[in-house]
Amino acid sequence: MELRKTTVREAAEEVCSGRISAYRLIEMTLNNCAVLNEGLNIFNSIAGIDALEQAKAVDRQIADGERPPLAGIPVAVKDDICYGVLPTGFGSAAFREFFSPYTATVVERLMDKGAIVIGKTNLDEMSLGSTTLSSPSGPTLNPRDSDRLSGSAGAAAVATGVCMVALESDSGGALRQGASHCGVVGLRPTTGRVSRHGLNAFSSSFGQIGITAASGENINSVLKIISGFDENDASTARPGDEPPLQGDVPDSMDLKIGYPAAAFDYLEPALREVFEQARDEYAARGFRFIDLELNYLAEALQAYYVIALAETSSNHSRFDGIRFGETEKAGDLEALYSRSRSRILGREGRRSSVFGAFLLSKGNYDRYYRQALKVWSLVKREFAGALTKCDLLMLPAVKSLPRPVSGETELLDSWTDDLYCAPVSLSGLPAISLPAGQAGSLPVGLQLVGPPFSEEMLAAVCDRVVPEINIFPHGNV
Amino acid sequence: MEFEVVIGLEVHVELQTESKLFCSCPNCFVPEPNVNTCPVCLGFPGARPRLNSHAVRQALTASLALNCEIALFSYFDRKNYFYPDMPKGYQLSQYFEPIGSDGYLVVEDDGGQPKTVRIARVHMEEDAGKLVHAAGGASSMVDYNRAGVPLVEIVTRPDLRSSGESRRYLEQLKRILQYARVSDCKMEEGSLRCDANISLRPVGSETLGSKTELKNMNSFKAVEKSLEHEIKRQKNILKRNEEVPSQTLRWEEDRQETIVMRGKLEAHDYRCFTDPELAPIELAPEEVDRVRKALPEMAEARAARFISDYGLPEYDAGVLTSSRCLADYFETCLKSYNNPKVVSNWIMGELSAHLNLAGLEADQCLFRAEDLADLLKMIDEGLISGKIAKDVLEKSFQSGKTPRLVVEEEGLLQISDHSELEAVVEKVLAENPDSVEKYRSGATKVIGFLVGQVMKETGGKANPGLVNELLVKKIEG
Repeated sequence: MELRKTTVREAAEEVCSGRISAYRLIEMTLNNCAVLNEGLNIFNSIAGIDALEQAKAVDRQIADGERPPLAGIPVAVKDDICYGVLPTGFGSAAFREFFSPYTATVVERLMDKGAIVIGKTNLDEMSLGSTTLSSPSGPTLNPRDSDRLSGSAGAAAVATGVCMVALESDSGGALRQGASHCGVVGLRPTTGRVSRHGLNAFSSSFGQIGITAASGENINSVLKIISGFDENDASTARPGDEPPLQGDVPDSMDLKIGYPAAAFDYLEPALREVFEQARDEYAARGFRFIDLELNYLAEALQAYYVIALAETSSNHSRFDGIRFGETEKAGDLEALYSRSRSRILGREGRRSSVFGAFLLSKGNYDRYYRQALKVWSLVKREFAGALTKCDLLMLPAVKSLPRPVSGETELLDSWTDDLYCAPVSLSGLPAISLPAGQAGSLPVGLQLVGPPFSEEMLAAVCDRVVPEINIFPHGNV
Repeated sequence: MEFEVVIGLEVHVELQTESKLFCSCPNCFVPEPNVNTCPVCLGFPGARPRLNSHAVRQALTASLALNCEIALFSYFDRKNYFYPDMPKGYQLSQYFEPIGSDGYLVVEDDGGQPKTVRIARVHMEEDAGKLVHAAGGASSMVDYNRAGVPLVEIVTRPDLRSSGESRRYLEQLKRILQYARVSDCKMEEGSLRCDANISLRPVGSETLGSKTELKNMNSFKAVEKSLEHEIKRQKNILKRNEEVPSQTLRWEEDRQETIVMRGKLEAHDYRCFTDPELAPIELAPEEVDRVRKALPEMAEARAARFISDYGLPEYDAGVLTSSRCLADYFETCLKSYNNPKVVSNWIMGELSAHLNLAGLEADQCLFRAEDLADLLKMIDEGLISGKIAKDVLEKSFQSGKTPRLVVEEEGLLQISDHSELEAVVEKVLAENPDSVEKYRSGATKVIGFLVGQVMKETGGKANPGLVNELLVKKIEG
């Protein structure tokens, strides 16, 4: 079986029919992992024996006559999503050996249906970034060009074919930009569609768990399993709150896509060209385009950072050396906190906490935080308004090509990379990041943004316009 | 110069609920540390709060019982500060929008006149854990059993004018919350905690003087004592024409004085912002009405019923309804022994004496209402005398044994056997010929002395009515 050319559904059927055992599949996957990880630094930990044991259990289930819909499917999980079996490191040196006492709902649901967790993927310190440059274990390299960054390690795991699916977090766009940089598909779901229980989000408002895979169909196979109400996450939609699934796209592709032309002006010409070409291809396939304006992208980006950093300063307060992280000896409590926190948080974490505390402090709350909340509601209204005029919105997924591994990145430049993703996070709407074309040899992705709970439709459109994604031939089994 | 005392009280009350405010851990006291805990109340990364709707209803009930305006839309905010008993580094509290506001409560002023004390706000928040200091002071440990227990904080306007008034306010507040079944309000156990803000100003002045904050009072008496102490202290300072320093003071029960805890009443910047993980609390007006209508009978109404239904004097009704559990005790006892005045006498007399001595409430003592009913029945059945009954009550109160068991074990059954008593009667008559003479010569009162002698001989166990009868028969016969 050639894993890279197989869909999740087909692979699970192969396993259920006994043509290949889950054990054999996972054994091969683990071998590939070991080889690839040497070169690209994708995983912070690999499950090994635990994954094989789980595979055996799946094989036993099948022998008992069950047909789990994700039987034997190898899954990568970002290292900010709690999984009790492996360490959950949050991209922090202080948590390298931290074991969460519980497992995230999304992971439990996948495993319950036969999927196997292969390993925990690399990430920026405390998920703060979309480059993996601030990871204590170094950056993850891009499988398409190993002199460049992958953006997200889950996308790299999918692009190399070692895992068919990656679960990743996405706040300002790490998942969507990673998919773009690695030439695969990434879905950020509607706020409330997928449980966040077990996600160590630096931003409670914007942190979401999404799915990265090689096709819209594979994303749908997984979304079906992980979405839905979770009693451990009060923000998940209750049954009945979700509108009826919009899974099937009309054959005629009679969909109207909103195209905010002015938004593409921020891009360098090479990238803009890719998107213009993509637009023409979509039009050739029968999609209709309408022009519209999104006037607050820049303000949305600022508001995103104000709110996300404010929340980070509060969410990371628990890492104080008392409950989490080493307690530094000190004469008084104040000194204990400052010493412990200086050690537990890395550069990115410290900076974010300081910024966030500043933004929330007296006077600044009104000046920045309250203003940002206003921008947030403005942006929500603007996106919702735009979607009354069209079925989908098209936006770039990235502002630049994957960055070279060597070379410094200015903080503000790395924030500006979120220009097209962060506003969508504010909107609360679902977005899929899918390949738009190539600039030179490097993949470039675009985002399609849909109305609430339209994930299935977005994934289906993706498969229509991107018939096949080139997965590296490491996935041969 | 004459000074006016200005006091405002902040009272924290633990709500009676099955589970904690944001998780399903039990809300009850257990001596073993860190047993009632889970990832949510321990602040584990990725664990999200889920609001306990029963706690909201309890807070709503408290607000209505205190005549508050109800916010139909409110939410939880984060109060950010570091302390080891707070696992998340922030406390979830209704900082911006309390569920109840602008209420009041009526208490007697020092002249015995009814006076309205305004309540500024009633808001929900989560409790913190407890620090346990190891002997020797080398280290401290934290018990998180209490972390996340639901509280309401009830804040008065600065309307109280004396220590006595403050104490009566607390007593009235406790009575109301107990009657509403919102909290057991046991200050000694920490389910009711009180801080006081106090300042003095020249009589007639409208501006408030500089205030101090009093903490660590463990009983109503301690509140009254510490306020008296503080009033005296501030008066002395003002009389010297000096200014009262703004300080936080700690009441030292052993030394019966205050010590300075914190030099300045610095306004801490809690960097509050609305919690992004919890949905707002929305109450329907019909629900508020339903809770308002379902408010239980309060002390005054119950006292009136005790007078009309049981024919009790006003005084008895007032004493019995001074706390809900005492009134419950009374009515439970009536179910098996239907003589209201007798029961009332025993509760107000013997039982209250023992309760006060032991510092217990009626629902905490081992001598239950059913035991009192049984004790009274034994008197009626002639099995024990009233005097013996008092001893039985005490022993039963101490040991928790039923009165019948005490009577049996101690051999306290009343002697009602003629032949047994006749021997004693004859012995007493033989030893007291003078008294017999007096009786025969018309001084029949002396019979009381003779009865007493018989009782003494029998260790109080003789049936006094029967003794009286036998004596008269013997002397006259």
